[in-house]
Amino acid sequence: METQQLVTLVPWTFIAQILNLFLQMYLIKRFLFKPINEILEKRRQLTDKEIKDARSANEEAVKLKAKYESNIADARAEAAAIVSSAQKEAEIRAEELVRSAEAQVAGIKAKAEADIAQERKKAINEAKDEIGGLVMDIAGKVVEKEIHEEDHRKLIEEFIQSVGEAS
Amino acid sequence: MNFDISGAKIFFRIPTGIPILGDFLISETLVVSWLVMIIITGLCIFLTRNLKVENISKRQAVAEMIVETANNFVRNNTGGTKFDKLIPFVSALFATSIVSNLISLVGLRSPTADLSTEAAWAIVVFVMITANKIKASGFGGYLKGFTTPIFIMTPFNILSEIATPISMACRHFGNILSGVVINGLIYAALAVASSAIFGIIPGAVGQFLSKIPILDVGIPAVLSVYFDWFSGAMQAFIFTMLTIMYIANAAEG
Repeated sequence: METQQLVTLVPWTFIAQILNLFLQMYLIKRFLFKPINEILEKRRQLTDKEIKDARSANEEAVKLKAKYESNIADARAEAAAIVSSAQKEAEIRAEELVRSAEAQVAGIKAKAEADIAQERKKAINEAKDEIGGLVMDIAGKVVEKEIHEEDHRKLIEEFIQSVGEAS
Repeated sequence: MNFDISGAKIFFRIPTGIPILGDFLISETLVVSWLVMIIITGLCIFLTRNLKVENISKRQAVAEMIVETANNFVRNNTGGTKFDKLIPFVSALFATSIVSNLISLVGLRSPTADLSTEAAWAIVVFVMITANKIKASGFGGYLKGFTTPIFIMTPFNILSEIATPISMACRHFGNILSGVVINGLIYAALAVASSAIFGIIPGAVGQFLSKIPILDVGIPAVLSVYFDWFSGAMQAFIFTMLTIMYIANAAEG
């Protein structure tokens, strides 16, 4: 079989090899670099997206946490306010209760005192009348003479008065 | 015992009738080159089948590693992403070179053992270097660059400019050809040694054994570690490295 020389430049082979090199470049670009670079880019985007998602989720969590904390603080303050207002109300009511009780007691006492005074006055008056009648009878019996009630009323009353003062 | 080594076989000769270019030779070089291209392209297609974003296969991991390595190699040596367009070219150059060099392991003749191949690559690189130089400093600036540092240096500058592709091509070619020559010599020498050693055995047995080159089995494989594997990978790397360095330097102006 015919062979080339060991060290030689064959023009057509030379040209063909240049074309082969560029063809190979295209083939490598088309079948290796294009798909792989696409997939790498896709993965990069995915990773970026995931990082972004994670970051936003974290931010949201922080926000939620702050919200919950403020809510809890609000609730606590509200509870404290409720408790304190209830306490105040209870105090006021108790005070009112005490005051009304005192007032009632005072009223009862006053009424009782008035009753007592009235009863006493009534008793005294009754006693006075009875004594007046009694005295009249006794005196009538004593003088055996009808005492004119109208004439002697004044006298009797003076007498009773003096008795009242003496007792 | 005669040992001779020849160039690539010529399978067909297509007459073109063009004076300088001569006949188109379908030689071993071209046939094996096409085989190399089929291997590389087939490997690319095989590696990039069923690409996934997550949960990738080993195949895809290898493909991604190759792409990342190529990207980093070019970016680290040019210092930036300015030459990203060159990545496929550089990768094609490296892949073709290394597969061509190593294909001699299966008994085929390396396309790189033909100076036409390396000359073709070197010329492409030379054109790229020149184009980048002109782009960086303009045509006038490019021509003016030959007169630096003093006018007297002009012939030497032109010489060194021309020497770049020639040295690149010849370096690669020389290394691969030397591997071919040395391997041929070793095979021939071991066949002679084998026939001499087994010829000592008397009678028909010795006569029979001395005709079989027994020493050719195994021993050349050890030497092939250097002359085929190491030298082949090294030359592919050097050629690619020089390509990037020259082009990056040229673009700096």
